[in-house]
Amino acid sequence: MIVLTSDSSSDIAQRSDDTDSLWVRVDQLRQATGWQLKPEGVCLGEICVPLFEPEREAWIADADDWVWFCYSAFADKIGQKHVRDGDVWSLGSVPEVRRAGLESGLAPDFGMTDRNGDTVRLSDLRGRKVVLFTWASW
Amino acid sequence: MNLPVWQELYESIGPDRFELISVAEDSQGEAAAGKWFDKAKPTFRCIVDPTHRISSLFGWVNVPSGAWIDEEGRIVRSNEGVFPDETTIKFGLGKVRLGNDAFAHATRDWIERGPESEFVWSAEELAAHLKPVDDDTLLAEPTFKLALHFESTGDSERALRHFDAAQHLAPDNWNYHRQGWTHKGTVYAARQVLKKSAYLRKNTDKNYYDPMELPGENHRRFTEPEWFWTPAVNGLKRLLRREPSAA
Repeated sequence: MIVLTSDSSSDIAQRSDDTDSLWVRVDQLRQATGWQLKPEGVCLGEICVPLFEPEREAWIADADDWVWFCYSAFADKIGQKHVRDGDVWSLGSVPEVRRAGLESGLAPDFGMTDRNGDTVRLSDLRGRKVVLFTWASW
Repeated sequence: MNLPVWQELYESIGPDRFELISVAEDSQGEAAAGKWFDKAKPTFRCIVDPTHRISSLFGWVNVPSGAWIDEEGRIVRSNEGVFPDETTIKFGLGKVRLGNDAFAHATRDWIERGPESEFVWSAEELAAHLKPVDDDTLLAEPTFKLALHFESTGDSERALRHFDAAQHLAPDNWNYHRQGWTHKGTVYAARQVLKKSAYLRKNTDKNYYDPMELPGENHRRFTEPEWFWTPAVNGLKRLLRREPSAA
């Protein structure tokens, strides 16, 4: 099963007894989605979304000798769009991240490798002016 | 693709005064964008972005788009159509001329004068310029990514299906249209751009690029093509109206 996010593509395990929902093995959750399970809830960086008891019961399950988290149900809760075709799931942007970034006027941070092989991280460039522009060959 | 003009601008303003980051939104990655970068020999930072991540993050729906980010990480301006100079794109028997040096002048002013520049936006002005986001446009983003995934795995049928879906969900997103059309080749894509832009010009008040709201910007920013016979047709029209020639 493949999970696509805005900055990653992960080939991860699929729960054998329920392929209708996006169940992600808890140990692969961070790699595939960026989120991780913590005592205070499901967290992405400094954002933590608490899970209520019925959600914990329904969305965390044992199967195939592993612990799984029902990510598609969680995505619906936080308003993150997702679309699938076969065993490929594609996740949209996280509304909370969008609100914390662009809509507050702060440039969304990113880390990407440039053509010289160096990592360009916007937050590393604080203290300097940055002009960023896109183009395309098409 | 005016990377050489950007290089000149970068050198003339002064590389020690700002960071210039150029991002190629090309699903074919280095294979499509590499030669353009190589030819320009840029000394600024160059990134190839096959999944259009930067456009998604910054809410951009066309290329070129650009932002000024100040020393505190705030976006102080964000525009579409940020050509650094007039750019001619040729295709078959025609060409389009886009942009002028308005954005380059404004950029130089901001680098030199910082917050004193009259072209700096407040957070409120930036918010007012952000593209509206609804359920469909939010769904279009992962749909487009799904298309790019299947394009990269060589599953053309599924790639086209999802490109088509993304284009329907976000009809104003030119990146989704043009990148998707390019799956069928650049000639097909160019014809579709002309067709769609001609339709919009005739039937709507939508612009190919939102105006930058900069003094002196070029208003021929709507991919209005000039065919090789256009000068002769214009000359004939002037003759019929008995107007003096423009020259």
